[in-house]
Amino acid sequence: MTQRIRVQARRRLVNVLLVPVLAIASGLVVASLFILLTPTPPLEAYGIMFTAGFGCEEIGRCALLTTLERSTPLVLTGLSAVVAFRSGMFSIGQEGQFVVGATLAAWIGYTLPLPPVLHPVFILVLAVIGGGAYGFIPAILKVKLAVNEIISTIILNSLAVLFMTYLVNFPMRADAGSTARSPLIAESAVLPSFLPGSQWGVGWVLAVGAVVGVLFLLWRTVAGYEQRMAGQAPAFARYGGVQSGRAAIRGMIISGGLAGLAGGIEVLGVSHQIVPGFSSGLGFDGVLVAILGLVHPIGVFFVAILFAGIRLGAQLGLQVSAQIPRELGGGILALIILFVSAQNLYVDLIDRVRNRFSRRGTTTDD
Amino acid sequence: MIEFTIDTFVVEMLRSGIRLATPIILAAIGAALCHRAGVLNFAIEGKMLFGAFFGIVAAFWLGNSYLGVAAALIGGGIIGALFALFYLRYRVDLIILALAINLFISAMTVFFLRVSFGAFGSWTDPSIEQLPDIHLPLIESIPVLGRLLSGHNLVIYLSWVAAIAAWLVLFRTKFGRHIRAVGENPEAAESVGINAARVKLFVLVTSGSLAAAAGAFLSVGHLTLFTSDMSNGRGWLGITAALFGLNNPIFVFLAGLFFGVADALAVRLPTVTHIPPSLIQFLPNLSALLALVLVGLRGPIRTRLARRRRRGRRGAGAGIESLPPTGPPATPTIS
Repeated sequence: MTQRIRVQARRRLVNVLLVPVLAIASGLVVASLFILLTPTPPLEAYGIMFTAGFGCEEIGRCALLTTLERSTPLVLTGLSAVVAFRSGMFSIGQEGQFVVGATLAAWIGYTLPLPPVLHPVFILVLAVIGGGAYGFIPAILKVKLAVNEIISTIILNSLAVLFMTYLVNFPMRADAGSTARSPLIAESAVLPSFLPGSQWGVGWVLAVGAVVGVLFLLWRTVAGYEQRMAGQAPAFARYGGVQSGRAAIRGMIISGGLAGLAGGIEVLGVSHQIVPGFSSGLGFDGVLVAILGLVHPIGVFFVAILFAGIRLGAQLGLQVSAQIPRELGGGILALIILFVSAQNLYVDLIDRVRNRFSRRGTTTDD
Repeated sequence: MIEFTIDTFVVEMLRSGIRLATPIILAAIGAALCHRAGVLNFAIEGKMLFGAFFGIVAAFWLGNSYLGVAAALIGGGIIGALFALFYLRYRVDLIILALAINLFISAMTVFFLRVSFGAFGSWTDPSIEQLPDIHLPLIESIPVLGRLLSGHNLVIYLSWVAAIAAWLVLFRTKFGRHIRAVGENPEAAESVGINAARVKLFVLVTSGSLAAAAGAFLSVGHLTLFTSDMSNGRGWLGITAALFGLNNPIFVFLAGLFFGVADALAVRLPTVTHIPPSLIQFLPNLSALLALVLVGLRGPIRTRLARRRRRGRRGAGAGIESLPPTGPPATPTIS
């Protein structure tokens, strides 16, 4: 009996690890058909892409560090999506919450003079609160009025972006002459980086801390347990005395806070100001990272690095060295997600292969 | 003289509002059909972008803009059918599928633009002709209304026809009843012999075609060029407008028009006032959110009213206990 359980657990682990690997491989194979349209052969192109995205020749020109820096907002928005999904809210409002956090950070960053360490801490706390408050809106609408959270978060995203565009064009505009942008934040508010010439720094450490925090919250606390139950089996949770509405609201506040933190870190650590269209690259990346990371914090951490690396490799490697449009990176990621979402195909395939090679009746039970 | 310019300003703004509303309306009618069948179609944004790209490329290849629009209609329908295949046959999660398709189309249109035409960001060719405006003989001569209703291109009229046709299909035909039945309760619909898969295939193909037509309107009908990500959130606005219009094609049409006119205002008002354009674009989004809240409030309020009425009667000792229990009304699955 115990052996059977162990076999099953092992099989699940194999599926969890094998499915993304197969999906990535399939995505790369299909994308190579598109590379055939360009002068560079696919294998060479992939070599260039991965060196430019993940390579690290010397500490001064280390692509991997840039990838880690760029993975920071993806890790945080991905975690934001994980927490929301796990509490039963299919929120795609990360972009709006990110924009709220970023706008607050940019605003406090240049208006409020504070001493060095206190300044970024205060700003990030405010960004978390702002994002959390913005995440609270769809949650309360869903719980009290049954308003579909997907739709409300889409609308809230465009509201946040429009409002940010207004702020940057008018009250927060740095100077009337040039293009619309907010003033640079004060030196005291900048998040320090580890190496000169790189922006990989404290922000990334905070993101890693958030991974650990979400892991702990969801799997080691009662609140997290309620959260997951409310997300996975609402009826069971209600029967067990969990107030699934409250769990969903709590989940959305945390989710919004994480996305707001992402916005704050992006401004304090990387961009130091906001401009119109500041968040347009972000879009649904957080949701996609969460899905590709199998809605798990650890998965999100690695998938965010993969995402950032492929994007960077496509930008610096494919486009600059191989004359292949960098958008192929987005195409590859989309294909990988397509293959992950069709994972039932793989699970069937893996099971069939395993059945062929397994002895005894370990495969009959399900 | 002043009166004349204000009049021209308003009419011109409304005309531009109609033009800006057209892609939103087409997308919204497709979305409303999907919602009625209980399908949340988030790929509309991507299909619109695909239509914009494929429409102008087909117009270039075939040397005719009308053929370009037709090709976009067919292409969008095929993508909708593929979408339905993955969803119905392979049980792929529809939302994940849609987000992946949106990302794929957004990336690959730019990729092909550069690989096939060597264009960076945007592309056009002098041989591509804009869709001509059609002047309606009699209506044209009506004073103000004529300038609003006449002189638009084919796709604009198509969006009006689509709204009416969708309303007729949904509320005046047996097939429309089937669509609504599948949306409200798929099991019950199946149990009385309605083919739910066929209904879903129909709405996905139709919404794909309509979204692609919206895209073709942007590229062939409006600007005669393609730029990267030129759908620019209009597909999402369409989904919002569908919900704002309670998935009733006529209301959806008006909601789309509201979005379009607000866009036109945002473009034109800054020339005469000091109201910032992004705040005007705020309006339709904010009203959509308020509409959702109102739709949500409708349920609890109705229940409370019914309860109060029942209690009142019981208090008065009328003895009528036979009022049907008015729970929250059967709200459509997507509201």
